Amino acid sequence: MQLSFPDYLIISLYFIVVLSVGFMIKYKIKTTNDFLMSSRSVPLWITSLAFISANLGAQEVIGMAASGAKYGIMTSHFYWLGAIPAMVFLGIFMMPFYYGSRARSVPEYLALRFDDKTRSLNAVAFAFMTVFSSGISLYALALLLKIILGWSFEFSVFTAAGIVLVYTFLGGLTSAVYNEVLQFFLIVLGIAPVVFIGLHEAGGWEGVAKNLPQSMVHTWKNMGSASDNAMGVNWWSMAMGLGFVLSFGYWCTDFLVVQRAMIARSMSAAQRTPIIASFPKMMMPFIVIFPGLIAMALTNAGSDFSLPLKPDGRTDFDMALPSLIAHYYPSGLLGVGVTALLASFMSGMAGNVTAFNTVFTFDIYQAYIKKNGTDQHYLMVGKMATVFGILASIGTAYLTSGFNNLNDFLQLVFSFVNAPLFATFALGMFWKRTTGHGAFWGLLLGTLLAAVFHGITLSEGDKGGWLGGPVYVFQSAMGQAFAVATVAWIGCFIITILISLVTRPKEEKELVGLVYSLTPKLKESKSPVAIAIVMIVLGLILNLIFF
Amino acid sequence: MKKLTDLRFIIGIFFSLCGLILLLCYFLSSQNNHPEMNLYAGGLMFLFGLVMLLLFYKGDVENA
Repeated sequence: MQLSFPDYLIISLYFIVVLSVGFMIKYKIKTTNDFLMSSRSVPLWITSLAFISANLGAQEVIGMAASGAKYGIMTSHFYWLGAIPAMVFLGIFMMPFYYGSRARSVPEYLALRFDDKTRSLNAVAFAFMTVFSSGISLYALALLLKIILGWSFEFSVFTAAGIVLVYTFLGGLTSAVYNEVLQFFLIVLGIAPVVFIGLHEAGGWEGVAKNLPQSMVHTWKNMGSASDNAMGVNWWSMAMGLGFVLSFGYWCTDFLVVQRAMIARSMSAAQRTPIIASFPKMMMPFIVIFPGLIAMALTNAGSDFSLPLKPDGRTDFDMALPSLIAHYYPSGLLGVGVTALLASFMSGMAGNVTAFNTVFTFDIYQAYIKKNGTDQHYLMVGKMATVFGILASIGTAYLTSGFNNLNDFLQLVFSFVNAPLFATFALGMFWKRTTGHGAFWGLLLGTLLAAVFHGITLSEGDKGGWLGGPVYVFQSAMGQAFAVATVAWIGCFIITILISLVTRPKEEKELVGLVYSLTPKLKESKSPVAIAIVMIVLGLILNLIFF
Repeated sequence: MKKLTDLRFIIGIFFSLCGLILLLCYFLSSQNNHPEMNLYAGGLMFLFGLVMLLLFYKGDVENA
């Protein structure tokens, strides 16, 4: 891919604007609350777009296009079955507790609802995961830029990390959130033309469908058995593993996204943030998955475009979107497309770093290292945590480049940790009898159970089975991952209940505002229920259209 | 008072300029690779940028 002057001009313009945002917001940052919580004063339209943009990182944009090319429209289950119901649930049922408790982070809610050990477990695991996710994102960016533009690994890593560092260090969360909204529009407007051109070249949706296996253009039709579809997952595993456990676990408990709703101006706005965000979210498959389907269809049709191959001769699905952009975009639009890819990586990285610095400052440093510091002291710690987060991300990027399997290993560990978390929150918010001991041991043993289950099952020849002869062989690694998540969730749920029943719960007066049955219901003039119903219905319609 | 830190202003300026660059690419250069896409995408971005700038000038400070 050869960039010309207009392309570099657009990339430079983008860098100038994102850095300017940091310099302009800098003057608004006076306190820790400004830096880490945006003073809880961000308008609804910004929190809603930032909510989905924080998740619109490299794995989403590049990964979903790759998955679209490999598995087809079934990939949309991550959106229409997983994300939409979970985001609506978060808005209706969980935000009242996150926002109403005035907790500054998800781990801090755990401290209020349960105890400090549960908070520490979640905070340390989250801090570790965000830094490593950010590093993996940086590594993927550098690898992509090396392949498509020939930029050196060092140049890509230090340029991207340096820019994210400057604007997050100067403007904190507000700066990151503002840039996330800009990045959202850039990603949509920068990638949508490739769908338009691709569909035109392929002969519309009919042309795409004609050149793909029938199982790739239906969401549900081939899910009766795992062997009937390329994903190797049946409907039950999809609904329970992805639709319930993993999606609710991520969208309802991951501070990276929940933080965007927690900085809204009011409870009503905080509740509506994920619900309104669910509308653009349900449209994202047309931007990020369709390019994969189009790339595969054009390749099968024998057009002048074909998906590139890896050195070992296998199709390189990860290059579906970049290769379409390189093939079809003229100079100028190519600059917008490359900037959109850059934006997706930087958005993901900034999201991770701003969530990390908040959790580190409030849930690790203030909770265990220095309890009674001044506000200016914690502001300084927040800024130092930002620098550390970026440096650790760079370190992880280099580590990942040196160990081929590190990325896979870390993704696996993250799934073990995330899966049981929703069980802890669901019990904590809706069953007042749940105790701190129950939550802590449920989380810990649920995670351990996930690891053991992965160790005794196998997929794709070498995934799992590290604890000896497999007791079950899955059709695909994805099917195995969904099953691992389900086992972890059920394990955590049962263990938490059993231990809670034999340990002493908190006094009811301590749980007001933290548990559903003990929290007075507010009559709000702007109830989010009506709009939530509309979003669920729209999600159902999309499922039916591509059934 | 309108502030430069209003996100609508930042988005408006960025996309207006991006749109202009793409429109200039369409009118000033001869390319074989779907040159009309610079016109369509550039026009759309330019319009989107103008709408955001209009919202900035007409909108209230509360939504900044």
